[in-house]
Amino acid sequence: MGSNRAVLLIVLCGTMAIVPVVQAQIKHIEMRVEGMT
Amino acid sequence: MKQHLGRQAGVQNVEVSLRDGKVDIVPKEDGQIDPTKLLKATYDSGVSVAEMDVTARGNIVKNASGDLALRIAPNRSFAFVPNEQSKALEALVDSPTEVTVRGQLFKKPAGKKKADTAPPMKLVILEVQKKE
Repeated sequence: MGSNRAVLLIVLCGTMAIVPVVQAQIKHIEMRVEGMT
Repeated sequence: MKQHLGRQAGVQNVEVSLRDGKVDIVPKEDGQIDPTKLLKATYDSGVSVAEMDVTARGNIVKNASGDLALRIAPNRSFAFVPNEQSKALEALVDSPTEVTVRGQLFKKPAGKKKADTAPPMKLVILEVQKKE
């Protein structure tokens, strides 16, 4: 029983580690410019 | 200009299309990128910015002035210029829902040689891409 819990805990921690952290942020910037040669 | 912009904080990659006059900037994930500094850096390299569009993800909040805004970091947000798209987001104020929007952060006023790029710049929402 106890070992099952430990395995579950390890699996849970592993899953959390590989899921990328989604951050609020700027994803992309696009500019239209004039006078570029 | 490409090198000048590439040296700015938080910039991962810069692609310049001479034919279209378009500059694509991919930010690093460190959240250090600052659109105001990019505008200034572009002007400093002798090129005039006609328009700047930003795609950003964050939470909908009301800022100190009572304007609806997209908060992308605890101390950083873009206030919205009120339009139909921003009104549709009003229900999400202070909710945990994260929203990805594409909007216009800067447009050179007609007839002006150099526009005012002083912060705070307001975001005109063009498209709400995702709510999650």
